[in-house]
Amino acid sequence: MTTLAVGTDSFSVFGTTATLLVSDPGLLDDARAIADAELAAVDMACSRFRPDSELSRLNGSGGAVVPVSSLFAELVEAALRAARLTDGDVDPTCGQALEEIGYDRDFAVLQAAGARSPLSAPVTLGVPGWRCVRLDRKRGLVQLTDGAQLDLGATAKAWAADRCASLIAAATESGVLVSLGGDIAVAGPPPADRGEGRGGGWGVRVTDDHAAGPEAPGQTVTIRSGGLATSSTTVRTWAVAGQRVHHIIDPATGRPAVSCWRTVSVTAGSCVDANTASTAAIIRSEAALAWLQEACLPSRLVRQDGTVETTAGWPSDPGPA
Amino acid sequence: MRRDDVRFAAAARDDGIHKISKFTWRAGAAGVACSALIAVAFGHHVATNQSSTDNNGGSSHSQQPAAGNNGGGSNQGSSSQGSSNQGNGGIVVPAQPPASSQGGGQVTSGAS
Repeated sequence: MTTLAVGTDSFSVFGTTATLLVSDPGLLDDARAIADAELAAVDMACSRFRPDSELSRLNGSGGAVVPVSSLFAELVEAALRAARLTDGDVDPTCGQALEEIGYDRDFAVLQAAGARSPLSAPVTLGVPGWRCVRLDRKRGLVQLTDGAQLDLGATAKAWAADRCASLIAAATESGVLVSLGGDIAVAGPPPADRGEGRGGGWGVRVTDDHAAGPEAPGQTVTIRSGGLATSSTTVRTWAVAGQRVHHIIDPATGRPAVSCWRTVSVTAGSCVDANTASTAAIIRSEAALAWLQEACLPSRLVRQDGTVETTAGWPSDPGPA
Repeated sequence: MRRDDVRFAAAARDDGIHKISKFTWRAGAAGVACSALIAVAFGHHVATNQSSTDNNGGSSHSQQPAAGNNGGGSNQGSSSQGSSNQGNGGIVVPAQPPASSQGGGQVTSGAS
């Protein structure tokens, strides 16, 4: 069997690590240039920590109607779609809730700052809700009502991975994998065969932390199209008054979700759909198992004790994670 | 009452009835015309709203953007290799499920 050479590049973006694989190594520079341009535009549009971003401008608008770029409108639309498809479990109006639990700066800065002050009492139970976001794609207008504050973290990274993979595949006609902090999108022809009995497709180690090495506890699978995303309560955590909190907000409470799952990985037709489902699964807790099965989404769910459950054709797991 | 007075009164009555009738018909016709105009305008409004929803935008008649639930139906710029389109239907299932593999993988999927 022939092991095909793959061009690989890793770099920092959105406060995490990006990995770019192209099946033709000679096209790696072109692919990287496309990714850099697209990711810079997404960051400029929807970073919550850049005062000059469109998101910051919208959050500071006091409920006014704000003209936005086509890119930002697309990102908002993706977030609203995720909310609608999950009956509001993946809600983009978690901005204020995240600030209340101390996530009000870049995560690297947050970690370096150490423990935050105690949780403030929530002003209202839950988040304002995605229906407080008014979007007019045709005219490029967005309005936040009822004091809603947007955070597009649940969808923007995965959306950007999809966008980069799609653009790179179209421009280079090469197979490509884009991983943004473990949110993975692939496009173009997949590698035919990786040799050593691994079969075709892109090999992905599924585990709790995207920064863990390839031998980290977990499972290796191959994907040939669409996206694979993992959500977890074990990563991107910080201390608040001696209590560990994480960034996945349950819209019903406005507080970090309490889930029976520590990590959920999902494959779907796109990375943003996979990430929508994995995030919703954390929030839905036990009910997620039946939901993912019914939605025919191949998934791997890891309970807090390490027990693994799978749905809808996810290959069997060799043992506890 | 004299006979001429009766005739005059009857003529005046008939003339009044005729005027009222004429006015009523005109008012009715105007009402029908207005109703038709309103119906046409409403139909156009509904059609425009439906079109805006399908295109993920708001109502073109409103000064405000459409509410969040009008936001669906996007092409997410994905690799578009799922088994169906990425529109309003639901989360798109992958074209094929992942396959089991050995070794460490080329990349790692985990939370960040």
